[in-house]
Amino acid sequence: MSDSIRNFCIIAHVDHGKSTLADRMLQMTGTISDREMTEQVLDTMDLEREKGVTIKASAVRMSYTAKNGRVYELNLIDTPGHVDFNYEVSRALLACEGALLVVDATQGIEAQTLANLYMALDADLVIVPVINKIDLISARPDEVAQDISSLLGTSPEKIIRISAKDGTNVDQVLESIVCDVPPPIGEDDAPLQALIFDSHYDAYKGVVAYLRVFAGSIHLSDTLRLMAAGVDLKPVEIGVFAPDMHPMEILTAGDVGYVATGLKTVSECRVGDTFTHAAQPAEAPLPGYRKVKPMVFAGVYPVEGEDYGNLKDALEKLQLNDASLVYSPETSQALNFGFRCGFLGLFHMEIIQERLEREYDLDIVVTAPSVEYEVLVRSGETLQISSPAKLPDEAEILEVREPWMKIQIISPTEYYGTIMDLATRRRGIFREQDFPAPNRVQLSFDIPLSEIIVDFFDELKSRTRGYASMDYQFAEYRRDDLVKLEVLVNGESVDALAAIVHRQDAYHKGQALVTKLKSIIPRQLFDVPIQASAAGRVISRATVKAVRKDVLAKCYGGDITRKKKLLEKQKRGKKRMKMVGSVEIPQEAFMAILRLEEE
Amino acid sequence: MMMANYSIYLHIPFCHHRCSYCDFNTYAGQEQRIPAYVEALCREINLAAQSSPNPLAIHTIFFGGGTPSLLPPEQLDKILTALRQGFTFQQDMEITLEANPGTLAPGYLETLHELGFNRLSLGMQSANPEDLALLERQHQYFEVIQSVKWARQAGFNNVNLDLIFGIPHQTMERWQATLGLALGLNPEHLSLYALTLEHGTPFQRWTERGLIPLADDDLAADMYEWASERLDTAGYCQYEISNWARRKTDGDIYACLHNLQYWRNQPYLGFGAGAHGSAAGYRTADVLGIQAYIAHCAGGSGKPFPTTPATITSTPIDRRTEMQETMMVGLRLTEEGVSARRFKQRFGESLAEVFGNEIAYLVGLGLLEWAGEDNETLRLTRRGRLLGNQVFMQFVGD
Repeated sequence: MSDSIRNFCIIAHVDHGKSTLADRMLQMTGTISDREMTEQVLDTMDLEREKGVTIKASAVRMSYTAKNGRVYELNLIDTPGHVDFNYEVSRALLACEGALLVVDATQGIEAQTLANLYMALDADLVIVPVINKIDLISARPDEVAQDISSLLGTSPEKIIRISAKDGTNVDQVLESIVCDVPPPIGEDDAPLQALIFDSHYDAYKGVVAYLRVFAGSIHLSDTLRLMAAGVDLKPVEIGVFAPDMHPMEILTAGDVGYVATGLKTVSECRVGDTFTHAAQPAEAPLPGYRKVKPMVFAGVYPVEGEDYGNLKDALEKLQLNDASLVYSPETSQALNFGFRCGFLGLFHMEIIQERLEREYDLDIVVTAPSVEYEVLVRSGETLQISSPAKLPDEAEILEVREPWMKIQIISPTEYYGTIMDLATRRRGIFREQDFPAPNRVQLSFDIPLSEIIVDFFDELKSRTRGYASMDYQFAEYRRDDLVKLEVLVNGESVDALAAIVHRQDAYHKGQALVTKLKSIIPRQLFDVPIQASAAGRVISRATVKAVRKDVLAKCYGGDITRKKKLLEKQKRGKKRMKMVGSVEIPQEAFMAILRLEEE
Repeated sequence: MMMANYSIYLHIPFCHHRCSYCDFNTYAGQEQRIPAYVEALCREINLAAQSSPNPLAIHTIFFGGGTPSLLPPEQLDKILTALRQGFTFQQDMEITLEANPGTLAPGYLETLHELGFNRLSLGMQSANPEDLALLERQHQYFEVIQSVKWARQAGFNNVNLDLIFGIPHQTMERWQATLGLALGLNPEHLSLYALTLEHGTPFQRWTERGLIPLADDDLAADMYEWASERLDTAGYCQYEISNWARRKTDGDIYACLHNLQYWRNQPYLGFGAGAHGSAAGYRTADVLGIQAYIAHCAGGSGKPFPTTPATITSTPIDRRTEMQETMMVGLRLTEEGVSARRFKQRFGESLAEVFGNEIAYLVGLGLLEWAGEDNETLRLTRRGRLLGNQVFMQFVGD
């Protein structure tokens, strides 16, 4: 049976057309009708459609009649397209035997293409390269084919050139999957080993685990065991995605499908865990499981205190689908009651923030993101500090360590200098350079994570006119001379504005921050002094002068409706600001530390 | 039962030229449509008068624009005749015409006075040629002097001058000179408006492109405060955020009764393109364009009061909204403010019950105060006059 199955994924840089290609294949195999074809079916969340990237992996089974007349079961496993979700990508790759490598004919190879390609090669996948967007005038498929060829050794003329948008040559891609990607191997009667590569929460069926069966088979009546979590369960339902959940009686080796577990939290059913039979367990789980750790932390606070309960509910619900989101209650003097949330990266944080605002309709204040510091104090204890305000007094500290990353930047060679400059300004240490294709350079650096989360990617994009791409991995914790930069507004220290910075940068960052805050904090009914201090010394100060004039001109010709609308708008703006002491501070201010470079 | 006196606003949307700061509903180069427009206006007046449940008594009429002084006397006469037919004129009517200096002549002003106009509001704006040029006003300062002189000769004893401060490049000295020259003309009434950047005006575009400097709010505040003192010395009483009036011999002041009607949230009907009304529990607005207005009036028949065929929006005002609006406009009156007693009479609930929290908060900030006999007048403090929005916004929305 399993020799008619093909399990594959698509790897591509953001915007290179992964979802469009998936759509076209779904249409051509009749998996969904043209009428059902809302754009990019695999991305079901609104946000994904807007951001043009797939946030959560998804899987779909297609039935394809090949040119040889046989019917094949093609399982497409969609992978997240962003570096924040590297671990999820690695698990999804493991569930496949082949990968379509989609490269944009106008953009060429980019950092995430490479990073994902290396991961796919690590997972021993057969790579089927595809050049997309040949319909565009600016397409240069020959050049891109050369680049891919020098990377993979595939001869340039064998690389399929397609337009996913208008469907050109997509049939060749389907044939190539059948011919080039090997069928899964695995014995149906061996002890069960099934890899979880994704999950979602369903209100009726509990956590639905997306899995790939490597050995053995799953019947609905089986008692299953999650090997890492140590949880036994009876499935509520098993089945495949076609493309919606379609119940089946049995899943056998090689299949991609789902188990509805009835579990109430995704944390009991994590990506990378292995299902086996409780009665006849496998000797060992599938390799590579790890619990993902959040890398970026930020305070999330309701603008109105009474929304605290709603925010808590919303975070709980989001966590049902997203085990990598962590949160714990936090109290800020400035912002009162809220949560310290941990995210995989900045992108993940943005998604959560937007979902809280849009899907849960919450007015929230998010503080500037921070990394998690390790702080060795005099007592000999090592503290994990993810909130800058919580950094102990300097006299208590023996050393502060911060997370360092390895980053790879791929760019046209002409931007070599400006990338070097950017990375070294951000305390980056140059490691190596490589030229993966003519006119393209890959630069590798070690760099503190705290420097990347502060606007690094935007700056990189602007310096390279959008041509550079970036990938990064955690390296290690390193000690450095780090101090707390505190901000006092109206004489009071505002904990949510504090930051941890390198001692050398404290002075100019303090000054830039005060200048920035002065431009962001609106004039109030009284003078508002703003000060920055580091290590107990005031570095910079400025005053937001009291507003003196704020009044409407006449209500012309008795038209008070228009003036009233203006007042209502002004009032709503005021409401969205956070009262800190007696000062109204807009949300923007809490992100000011991220935007200092613009000054 | 005593009926509340009504006021009537008539909008005349014609101008020779659109000034660079103006976003009012007015159109340049459409003067050939004046006869048809006046005909439509008279029809709207007739239909509204017929639809009112009982004959309405009116005590003020205000011709605003645009440039009402572009209308020939016979057209103004037609409008007044329509009004006299439809409504009962009270004793001591106040009938105001807005006029641009430079559009007036002695004979014209005499005819206006004979027709019953008794208050003239002149758009002087500034005495400085550079200010006038930037504002794209179509007159010179000497024409203001002439207009006032001719108005006096024609018998007008209630003249207002509109002035603008906070004009780009305008210095304090220049503003002081303008106000001094305006006072030299001895007007009964002065309106001082801070220049506002309005969306879609040449001023806004010029500012965005950096051609003219952004308004300096602090300088504008200084100008306002200086003017308040200067006018006080000159014997003018401030009665509204932007309005001052001289004392009459009987001790009363030359306040603009028509505008008081708005600020006291009393009823008024608005006729003409883009005119707003507030009556019988509704706020209404007429269609904006000249041609659209003419077409609406020509084609339509009577509608339930206070709407007419030209009405395009009609918003019911519930009691809560009426209370909010009473605060928002009433607190503009710097002396009279909002009377707790009259509020209770009008709404049956006390100010403290309805807006206790808002008032306590604003009094705490030093923006509102209790004053007058029995301390029952709620009004802006001196500081609050320039920070009115901070006050008014507390009384709008949810």
